[in-house]
Amino acid sequence: MSSVTGQKEHQGTAQTQQPHPVHSSDASVQAPVKLELDGVRKSFGSRRKPLPVIDGVSLQVREGEFVSLIGPSGSGKSTLFHLIGGLLQPDGGEIRLDGRIINGERGHIGYMPQQPALFPWRTIEENVVLDREINGIPRRESLDEARRWMARAGLSGFETAYPHMLSGGMQQRASFVRALLSPHGLMCLDEPFSALDAFNRSEMQAWLLDIWEETRRSVLFITHHIEEALLLSDTIYVLSGRPSSVLKRIEVPFPRPRREEIAESPEFLALRRELTGWMKEEQRKSREGTGGRSV
Amino acid sequence: MSLQTTLNRWFRSFWPPFVAVLLFMALWEAAVRFFHIETWILPSPSVIAQEASRSASSLWDHTLSTLQLTLIGFAIGSAVGLLVACALHLLPLLKSALYPLLILSQNVPTIALAPLLMIWFGFGLLPKIIVITLVCFFPVAVSAMDGFAQTDRTMLNYMRMIGASRLQIFRKLEFPHALPALFSGLRIAATYSVMGAVIAEWIGAQKGIGYYMILQKSAFRTDRIFVAILIIVALSLLLFLLVTLIEKMVVRGGRRSGHEEGGEGR
Repeated sequence: MSSVTGQKEHQGTAQTQQPHPVHSSDASVQAPVKLELDGVRKSFGSRRKPLPVIDGVSLQVREGEFVSLIGPSGSGKSTLFHLIGGLLQPDGGEIRLDGRIINGERGHIGYMPQQPALFPWRTIEENVVLDREINGIPRRESLDEARRWMARAGLSGFETAYPHMLSGGMQQRASFVRALLSPHGLMCLDEPFSALDAFNRSEMQAWLLDIWEETRRSVLFITHHIEEALLLSDTIYVLSGRPSSVLKRIEVPFPRPRREEIAESPEFLALRRELTGWMKEEQRKSREGTGGRSV
Repeated sequence: MSLQTTLNRWFRSFWPPFVAVLLFMALWEAAVRFFHIETWILPSPSVIAQEASRSASSLWDHTLSTLQLTLIGFAIGSAVGLLVACALHLLPLLKSALYPLLILSQNVPTIALAPLLMIWFGFGLLPKIIVITLVCFFPVAVSAMDGFAQTDRTMLNYMRMIGASRLQIFRKLEFPHALPALFSGLRIAATYSVMGAVIAEWIGAQKGIGYYMILQKSAFRTDRIFVAILIIVALSLLLFLLVTLIEKMVVRGGRRSGHEEGGEGR
């Protein structure tokens, strides 16, 4: 079902070029599995006329691994997140976190939505500790930690400001810090940069790369931006159009710490071309499919 | 924004209506004098002003009594409205059962119920407070419920994704989110409550502006009725401003304009 594309040779070339093998992504390959989806299925609609959205998705996120999901629009990526977050109950399959089945259970993940969704009546620091507050960690305890990461995110001086005083990029950084401070090990980021303009977006990607390589949290990242996925991820899952399943699994060979410059390397361009090809193919298929498919 | 510019802006928006009122008063005064209208039909503004200053001391007691009744009724009515809104919001089944009835109940004129309440509960404080409560509770309940229902979807989705419980979502998201809506309901209820108090006093009281009005009506003291109306307007305005002031203190963040931007701190 899922294929490992040229993992070994990429890994090899990368090792010889880079003098810091310790940071290379193979460290996470041996790490224990944090999140595992095993044949997860979900349909909407009525019992007599079901509309399958997720059709047997299996994937893994290891401890400290950055995993991206890319797929054509309407491929049910957000539904997948709602399943992992426990907002929806899968029709079949298992969702395991640290080896335990969490089908339909809430409160196991940190989350960063598409829109910053900061509460306008809370100051930035009060917003940033919200996840911890929900999980019963006293506010005062969290605030020190919050201030440290806000400084790291270029938000110092704005601790007691209200969200409307911040630019879109800054709000999104605050939203990321909120997810980062979550007491849960796994962070789910749902197309966090899609609302930003191109310049802000690439700046945020570089920033996220930097801060993630420092923290090494387990991340599941939804995007439809191929370069973004290549730049940030250890592993990329390509989803098919609806009903979606895993089409390809790609291990991204570039060593860490990464720089934005890798986007110009021939290896990067080749991978991007390959991914773009699959995505176009899927987009075309799903466009044709919507007209002709009989349920 | 400095104090100077605030005052300037306020002054600029203040003077057109002020001049309009002044002109209207002048016209009124002139018309009464020119057509020799009897004072018991329409007293001139100057006569009303004279009467106001003359009977100020005797009116003070009545005003205080009405204000007290209004404040008690407003507090109880708003509290009941808010409680009902919370209960109906947290129990959707109850809401679908009772919400239509609530809307329907507003077709019953509260004022028409007042005599009935006097018969049942006598002439004490209780029936009057019930009248004001009935008048106040509806705008508060409806605006709070609308506020709860209009909670931002992305914020709600975020709270669910991080595993917030129903009560946490209510306390940390829906309630603060509904505060501006709640306050617009409270402002309406504040002015209604003064009206409710005066009507309650019309029907049965030994004190208060409403009682005073009834007394002056039977004596054909039109000038004094106008003075009473002025007091009622002042009371309504006072309560309205009070609620607005509390809102300014309670509601935080982006909904208030005129915030200064914090310094760049990188």
